[in-house]
Amino acid sequence: MAELPNTTMANECKVKLKSKDDKIFEVEYAVAMQSQTLKNALAHTGCTDTALPLHDISSQILAKVIEYCEYHVNAANTISEKDVKTWDEELVKHMDQDTLFRLIVAAKYLEIHNLVDLMCKTIADRIKDKSVEELREIFHVQNDFTPEEEEQVRRETKWAHGE
Amino acid sequence: MGQESTQTFEINGDNGNTINGVCGASLLHELPDDVLSLVSKALQPRDLCNMSLSCKRLNVMVNSDKVWWQQCLQVAENGPDNLQAWRNFVSSYKVICRFLLGVKHLIGIWVHQNPELGNMVYVMWGFLSVVGCRIIPQELGSQGFESGLLWAPVFEVICNWDGSLVFFLHGREKDKDYCYPGSLKPAKDDCNVLLLEVKPFRQSVLKENLPLIQDRKWSPPENIASSSGEPYLNGTTSRLGSKKFMGQRIMETNSMQLRSKDSDSIQFSRLGFGDRRRLLELVAHRVRLKVPPPVSGPLFPGAGIGSSLDKADASKDLLLLSERRSLMILMHKHGDPNGKKPFSGSQYEGIQSEIALKILCHVSESQDLQAAKDSQGFDSVKGKSILQGPSTSSTKWTVSGWEPTKKQSFAKFIKERMKQIIGVGAGIQDGERGNSSCSGDNKRVQLQEFLKLGDTVGLCLHASCLKLSMYRAWPIMHDNRFALYKMPEQKPEKGREYAGLWGGTFGWPPGRPPEDKPGKALFFLLLSYEKTDEGWILIATKILEGTHYVLHPNGSAMFTARVDELSSERFPWEGDRDDSPVEIVCVYKGEGIANGYGFRYPGSKPGDLFVCQKGLLAFVWRESKSVLTLQRLDLQALLRDGERVATLPPVANFAYLTKSYSNVFAGYSGLTTTGSATRSKTTP
Repeated sequence: MAELPNTTMANECKVKLKSKDDKIFEVEYAVAMQSQTLKNALAHTGCTDTALPLHDISSQILAKVIEYCEYHVNAANTISEKDVKTWDEELVKHMDQDTLFRLIVAAKYLEIHNLVDLMCKTIADRIKDKSVEELREIFHVQNDFTPEEEEQVRRETKWAHGE
Repeated sequence: MGQESTQTFEINGDNGNTINGVCGASLLHELPDDVLSLVSKALQPRDLCNMSLSCKRLNVMVNSDKVWWQQCLQVAENGPDNLQAWRNFVSSYKVICRFLLGVKHLIGIWVHQNPELGNMVYVMWGFLSVVGCRIIPQELGSQGFESGLLWAPVFEVICNWDGSLVFFLHGREKDKDYCYPGSLKPAKDDCNVLLLEVKPFRQSVLKENLPLIQDRKWSPPENIASSSGEPYLNGTTSRLGSKKFMGQRIMETNSMQLRSKDSDSIQFSRLGFGDRRRLLELVAHRVRLKVPPPVSGPLFPGAGIGSSLDKADASKDLLLLSERRSLMILMHKHGDPNGKKPFSGSQYEGIQSEIALKILCHVSESQDLQAAKDSQGFDSVKGKSILQGPSTSSTKWTVSGWEPTKKQSFAKFIKERMKQIIGVGAGIQDGERGNSSCSGDNKRVQLQEFLKLGDTVGLCLHASCLKLSMYRAWPIMHDNRFALYKMPEQKPEKGREYAGLWGGTFGWPPGRPPEDKPGKALFFLLLSYEKTDEGWILIATKILEGTHYVLHPNGSAMFTARVDELSSERFPWEGDRDDSPVEIVCVYKGEGIANGYGFRYPGSKPGDLFVCQKGLLAFVWRESKSVLTLQRLDLQALLRDGERVATLPPVANFAYLTKSYSNVFAGYSGLTTTGSATRSKTTP
């Protein structure tokens, strides 16, 4: 179906989003349009007062998503690329691993492509070039291999280290 | 802005899990496959392998086909176009990724100075393999630049069940085709020379006490389409915990760990030319394996795959190729499938050093005596290759080269000549010979030292990075290395539209000759751009020439064009073959190679490069009005469509070191037999 018929209506429309833990968030239409998923949903329903339920996203994460989208709504036109990049980096700088994971899952679900890219890059940067021990810390996991098993995996993956 | 959202964050995440200890792991468990594969795009295989080592759960997650499929796409951007077809014949994309990483830097054009007509080996993707194909000097076929090419296999590297590399050299001895197993380490990105060497192997003590795993009969997996189409020898990382299985595997791989290092390669290259040649020939002769039917068949999918051939034929093709691959992997380790087991444990590990020592040192004593006689003149006609026995004096040396005596068939003449050249080459080229017995002793000691480095010595391909100087886009090569040199290829891009490989012929109209005229020699030229003091120039380097007897050295720049200087010359011809008008887009001033200055230092004469409408280039020499027309070719497609011809003996097949000005790769008289009428499609 078509998008909202005229721009004034679009400007006035407020989109309501409900998180998993039943918190309601209200955002501008333009902010919501950065999500392909929401865009498709709204194309069907039109501007509505009913909150769109987002079953898998907690309020904590949804708040972050909205923060990102609100910044980026105007970023393309008014803010320099360099400043946008800096802002993005600040957003994710101190995020812990779990938040990063949840955020990327949410971004993927909502189909906010540049947020997905940012998340991928951030997570990858934390993993890249780390040793096995450092990775265990990052992922909060413990070594549950037996020494022989570990030795086998090590040997089988020697090739990846430029052997 | 009227939001109802709170700005405070709850410390507890969803599901009330607290963020501590194991939480990270459980969250990973929830991470969808496609998100992980998205993240993995920015990671290297090394990072993924480190992740797989951190804990069992991560191990399983990271080893998903989705993740490794992404890696395959990234690792080989110019990769094989049928990766998904390959997947049906290995256990995972991880295996394919390992293989791709190991061989991707081998892809491209490799050359040698000799023979001067051109020695061009194109390494391309095969079927779970890369194949080095030598394109032999030939004439343009009946379909012009769309005709299949004549080629001969030089070597191939096959993907093993675990993704490691299985190397075979190809060759022909006494009218029979053989394959020669050897070893190859993954090629690094800066490799520019492929060296054929002999490498020492040290055997592990442990190996002797174990029941050989390879005693069990191996058979190809029954259901090829299943994802677990892989025999017992190599498990995936998810198969943890089977202790017995583990134990055997640890033992087996220990011997592989005690391999030689790069210093051995240096040792080999320090040996004298004669010793290197004899060692290579000896080892090749001893490890050679006959090629049973699937192996003697096609090395890569034919032209039909993905195009006009229907699906049933295409999958039959792939099954045959898979059978071939399985058999070759077996032969690489176990030798002749029907015959005796290799005495050293693995066929590719070669022959026992003691035996090599005995044979070579005995021979080199008698060769020293021969060399002393040789230094007087061409008595070396009667010289012999140690492996072939006495040769008949069926050839005589005249001023213009070797000529057959009367009742010799041409093929036999070529064969005899090969034998003698291989036996003689050392005598003529080896500057260290014909000398005092003192340096002969030194060399013998060096050879002994080298052979003592391992229990066995086997063939090996060494992809190394050497300091090479270039002259106008052509590497300057050593005469006595058994090597192939990488031709740097520029990619066409804005401002460098004509970079890359082109096919060329002389004469106008371009392309295939009319029915009644003799064939046109097919030239291969690599065009590249270089900055000089006078601005950018386009250089056309000749790398293969299909004439009978070469006029200019291999690697000569046939022409150069100054791309900043337009010319106002008119194109000498009005119309094309079918009288359609020739549309010239632009013309550049340039210089074309000149005859008459001798072979060594050709000069140049003025000419112009015409860029024609249909993607054709034409260089016209101003004075003589000779014209060289160039057209792009799709090498891979033309090879798949092409005809396979006989190879030379193995070492010569890799690098032909004796100076020659004619076509040493053609097993029959003259190139006219390679004309359109007699070309036949190879049947599998």
